[in-house]
Amino acid sequence: MKTLTIDNFKIMLNNALRHIKEREEEFSKLDAVIGDGDHGQAIVTAMSAIVATAQKGTEFKAMLNDMGFDVMLQVSGSTSTLLGAFFLGMSDTVSGTELDAVAVKAMFAGGLANVQKQTKAGKGDKTMMDALIPAVEAIENSDSADIKEILEAGAKAALDGTAATVDMKANFGRARNYGERSIGYADSGASSWSCMFAAFAEAL
Amino acid sequence: MSDIKTKFINNPEQVTPELLEGYVLAYPDQVKLGGENIVVRANPKSEDKVAIVTLGGSGHEPALSGFVGEGMLDCSVVGDIFAAPGAQRLFQALQLMKREAGILLVVLNHSGDVMSANMACQLAERVGIKVKQILTHDDISAGIGANNDDRRGLAGCVPLYKILGAAAEEGKSLDELIEIGERFNKQLATLAVAMRSCTHPQNGGVITDLPAGIMEIGMGQHGEGGGGQKPLVSADETAAEMVDLLCRQLQPKEGDKMMLIINGVGATTHMELNIIFRKAYMELKERGLQVAFSRIQEILTVQEQAGFQMIMAILDDDHIDYLKNKRSDAPYWTTIGK
Repeated sequence: MKTLTIDNFKIMLNNALRHIKEREEEFSKLDAVIGDGDHGQAIVTAMSAIVATAQKGTEFKAMLNDMGFDVMLQVSGSTSTLLGAFFLGMSDTVSGTELDAVAVKAMFAGGLANVQKQTKAGKGDKTMMDALIPAVEAIENSDSADIKEILEAGAKAALDGTAATVDMKANFGRARNYGERSIGYADSGASSWSCMFAAFAEAL
Repeated sequence: MSDIKTKFINNPEQVTPELLEGYVLAYPDQVKLGGENIVVRANPKSEDKVAIVTLGGSGHEPALSGFVGEGMLDCSVVGDIFAAPGAQRLFQALQLMKREAGILLVVLNHSGDVMSANMACQLAERVGIKVKQILTHDDISAGIGANNDDRRGLAGCVPLYKILGAAAEEGKSLDELIEIGERFNKQLATLAVAMRSCTHPQNGGVITDLPAGIMEIGMGQHGEGGGGQKPLVSADETAAEMVDLLCRQLQPKEGDKMMLIINGVGATTHMELNIIFRKAYMELKERGLQVAFSRIQEILTVQEQAGFQMIMAILDDDHIDYLKNKRSDAPYWTTIGK
């Protein structure tokens, strides 16, 4: 696959929502280990808003921008802020209705850059960043010109990053107070974000 | 009809809009509604000056809308009882306040408020609105010298509103205001004590569950525990302990000029607040400190909770000038000025 169209991208988003819905309960249970146990509901609500807006999109830049605005204005909470920031950042680098491999890589890099403006969490803090950072790094470092292969590299890195959170001690935000209790469980945010990246690759 | 048998309310869902409506009707010369649950000045300041905006849940009256007025806040964005307003309402308020000089958004460090502020500012910047944030984290109950991220924003935001509002009225730029405000923030500390429970006005739930004869030092303003439960002691002993903790945080030097505010949180009488203030003042004097600005008032309440917040700061000369000498007509913080 050499170009990604708007319709391809909508199929990726729909697939992500479907998989995230299937695992809603699992994400909430993981969140309950160290938080208030609402991550499943939060990510489903946020992704639903994102997908609803995406359906109206006809051009990458405006579509991604509207997705970011709508999720932040319609859904409160940290999940919505970070997802919104991700799609807003993706909108910064793109234009037109078709993206080549270089443009896809730049789009995901833009998404990560904007999320990093919103959170100080990094790799190893046991947050969604343990999925997002490796995913985007793998996408950028992929030497393939095939977009499906590029996204598969991202998905694999996200899933590996999430698996690594099982042994980590929560080190960020309020979860930090629960420290040791978090060991042995994957981070809920890393789990849902890696689910999204896996669904993106699978959809193509 | 409400099931709550302890408060004069109508429909629990309408508490916030009804209280704001009553408030602006009572003070029409100073404040008006600028949108749903948005309070703005009746006479807006000129657009070449920075607008000072804040956000927070209701249920803490007169905070935060009581401080909207000339020389203080330009706009307060109000959430439901004890809940942050959503990013949507805040974004609407930022659009309303948009100006070349910019907007300074004062955010109290509570996760919901911080989140809404970050979202709304991110969106605002994308539509060309100039806005910067200043975060308050005056609570010291997380421990002396605790990381700012772990410290909640308590009633210390109110003197900060006064300082920023006065400086903005003078024409200070957005960056200058942040410098003035952060310098005050660094030298500001608050400690709360609670001793009787209160109920949530919408669901009737108990917010603070303290048995009779027990007090808790470090109680947050939504009933979050501070860890310091113990048998109630006298006013003087309570005040002395709190001054000691606040001074350990601030480490004032002999001769420093201090701010001392005692904020009643609802059920504690002004009689008691005066008695507390007296001892706190004496404690500062004994340490060779001079109280340069003081106040005893209910500025931020927690329903019918009994207790108070002791708000202390080491003041620079410009802070004293803004607090004492500059005019404010905000309904709950009026200063005649020089």
